[in-house]
Amino acid sequence: MRNLHVRSWPAALFAAAATIELVAAVLSWGLEPKWDTSLYAVYALAAAGAGTLIVSRHPGHRIGWLLVATGVFQSLASDLAQGWGLRAAEHRWPGGAFAEWVALWSWVPSAIVIVLTFLLFPDGHLTRRRWQAVVWVNVVGVALTLPGWAMDPSLDDQFVGGRNPYAFRSASIVLEGLGMPLLLGSVAVAIVPLVQRYRRSSGVERLQLRWFVFASVFAAIVLPVSALMWNTAPAVRLLPALALTAMPVAAGVAILRYRLYDIDLAISRTLAYAALTMVLAGTYAGAAVALGAAVGRSSAWVTAGATLAVAAVFRPLRHRIQRTVDRRFNRTRFDALRQMTGFLDDLRAGRAVPEDVEPTLRRVLGVDDLQVRLSLPHGGSTVDLSGTPVADDLAAGQTSWPIRHAGTLLGTVVAPGELAERRSLVSKVLEAGSMAVEIARLRVELRHQLDEVEASRARIVAAADDERRRIERDLHDGAQQRLVSIGLALRHAQHTLGSGDVEVSRTLDDAVAEITVTIDELRELARGLRPAVLDAGLGAALHELARRAPLPVKVVADSRRFPPDIETAAYFCACEGLTNAVKHSRATKVVLSARCRNAALLVSVADDGIGGAAADRGSGLTGLSDRVAAYGGTFCIHSNGTGTTLLAEFPCVS
Amino acid sequence: MRVVIAEDQALLREGLARMLRDSGHDVVATLADADGLLETVQWKRPDLVVTDIRMPPTFTDEGARAALAIKHTESDVGVLVLSQHIETTHAVSLVAHRGFGYLLKDRVLEVGEFLATAERVASGGSALDPMVVSTLLSPRSDGPIARLSERERGVLELMAQGLTNAGIANRLVVSERTVEAHVRHILTKLDIAERDDGHRRVLAVLAYLDRAHRT
Repeated sequence: MRNLHVRSWPAALFAAAATIELVAAVLSWGLEPKWDTSLYAVYALAAAGAGTLIVSRHPGHRIGWLLVATGVFQSLASDLAQGWGLRAAEHRWPGGAFAEWVALWSWVPSAIVIVLTFLLFPDGHLTRRRWQAVVWVNVVGVALTLPGWAMDPSLDDQFVGGRNPYAFRSASIVLEGLGMPLLLGSVAVAIVPLVQRYRRSSGVERLQLRWFVFASVFAAIVLPVSALMWNTAPAVRLLPALALTAMPVAAGVAILRYRLYDIDLAISRTLAYAALTMVLAGTYAGAAVALGAAVGRSSAWVTAGATLAVAAVFRPLRHRIQRTVDRRFNRTRFDALRQMTGFLDDLRAGRAVPEDVEPTLRRVLGVDDLQVRLSLPHGGSTVDLSGTPVADDLAAGQTSWPIRHAGTLLGTVVAPGELAERRSLVSKVLEAGSMAVEIARLRVELRHQLDEVEASRARIVAAADDERRRIERDLHDGAQQRLVSIGLALRHAQHTLGSGDVEVSRTLDDAVAEITVTIDELRELARGLRPAVLDAGLGAALHELARRAPLPVKVVADSRRFPPDIETAAYFCACEGLTNAVKHSRATKVVLSARCRNAALLVSVADDGIGGAAADRGSGLTGLSDRVAAYGGTFCIHSNGTGTTLLAEFPCVS
Repeated sequence: MRVVIAEDQALLREGLARMLRDSGHDVVATLADADGLLETVQWKRPDLVVTDIRMPPTFTDEGARAALAIKHTESDVGVLVLSQHIETTHAVSLVAHRGFGYLLKDRVLEVGEFLATAERVASGGSALDPMVVSTLLSPRSDGPIARLSERERGVLELMAQGLTNAGIANRLVVSERTVEAHVRHILTKLDIAERDDGHRRVLAVLAYLDRAHRT
């Protein structure tokens, strides 16, 4: 407990209670049943301890102080007094009867504690001022009952000496007759605001109340039952101490650590096991009676057979009872799991997509701002269900829950912190829904890998284009220029030589002519790789292309620029389309166009030929389709008897 | 002629300078890039500038832009742009200026023809590389050019290259009167108005060819 700094005052009181209990235990040890000594000491210390912790976390919390006071009073007035009374009777110490007398009436003030707790739980404040009246009635009741009880002669047999030294019959009858109805009535009325509070509550307060009500109901069942069976089954004498101890513990948990433990689960398990125990006991008894009638009462077969019968019904019964209890008493969890299962059925039947797991979780868990974050394998970036990267941190007041499937961490669910109150429900629901998350994650991963492949394809094509450009530059600016220089050197030699040697001069002429042819060839080669005119833009390159064509070509393009890679790809589309039109289509005219539409570059080559072109037949057109796809574009050919139109669309922001 | 050379490759630059000097011309300055070309021209007042089209830093059209700048401020200086490859867009638009030439770089190896062209440009004439012209004149099934005779097409090409009637006569080894007759026929067939001025005639022919090609 990080924030818990135990305060000195309550700590001192706790230490006092512990010391008193130690003394009381030493005094009563061996003079009454040992479990009696220890369990009531545990109860007093549990009350003082829970109170100390509550007051340390929430200074001034009335419930805390109430519990501390209960612990101290219990140890002092009940346990120490009783110890002294028992021991004094043994050793003839003074004041033994007085101590016994105190211990006997010491339970009466606890009615005030019960009423106050009912009225103040869990926040330490009254829901309405008018409930104060109940407290006053109770105090009056206690004030009348206490002396009445103290003077009651019917308690004579509770004293070691066999006589209540302060007995006063007539006063006792009057006081008890007046006080008891007030005391019991005020306790009964105090339940009303508690029930009201529970009904109106939600969220944290409801959880806290459930803890307390759970413990109260447990006590309300256990105390009368154990009183009834006090003499028939001595084992139940343990139960009141346990039930009493459960109350301060439940109050402490409710106020301090309600997030840690799932009250719904505790209730449902308690109910399920109680029911199971009863049914199994019944089964055992029934089987034993039936077998006993058959094979004789004391046969070992009876025990074995009954045990076997119980073992056989245990598993299926446990499941069925738990399910029934869940349906009745743990409705949220039952509904949540049923909704999640319904979603998974829809998913299998194709009525839902795995990404719907997020809205489904929101609906099932009843929170609007819930987000599923996936952690992708190999690289581990965090993305949402659409594959968009998200920051992997939590805002204030958010909690995250891991989602696992077959031992692999798929991601987390990020939700408001209140959801932590339903820890067990959340993990059950996530466990059920993890398959959908796994599928969603696989889909995101697939999309990412596809994007990666597309990007790498674009990079490869771009690299190839860069390489062409580099070679083209090398040819033009390197080899070609060098050849011109050599030619000039030869011409200089020829000039220096003068007209003297005709033979040599002719050889030099031939050499220069050869160089010229070579340069022409290099030029053609370079143009095929990538036309240098593309540097001036796609429009210029298309006009150039049109001028070289052996048939009329109309160009519709402006001087708008696009990314160089896109321009190159678009140029080759036009080039290939034009070549196709010239070679195969018997067209009489062609229209080349490059337009920008909706942030996309649209390149088309339309001819008026005989048609019959298809991307899957000509390898040139197939290669073109790949090239366009590499930039995330689309490529299509419409070809019929009246001509062919080749259309390529490149996405580009310009 | 007083010549300024701009060429980024040292070997080629020196080769060009030496060739021009061998032919008795005066190379007054050589530059390795287009920066300062205009200032050099204003300082040295040459008859002709020979410039490479692709030069540092971007190796695209620095030479062409410098050439245009020279034409705008020093319009009487002839500018001959050399290119590694044919590119009609630049070529046709540049030659629209008087005293402008556009040649493929390896044309310098035909020294005689190159010098004749250079002198024509220096004296205000035009020059368009034969390869560019033949691209413009590429055989087409339709159009008026198809109606020209073989000889007339030859004359049209030389006209487009910027040659004068005398130059054409010289090249084709015919009399100047014969060339004049061919030119008249061509202009009539293509429906181009007769022009006395050589440069205007080139422009008219180029404009016609360019238009014919775009449609």
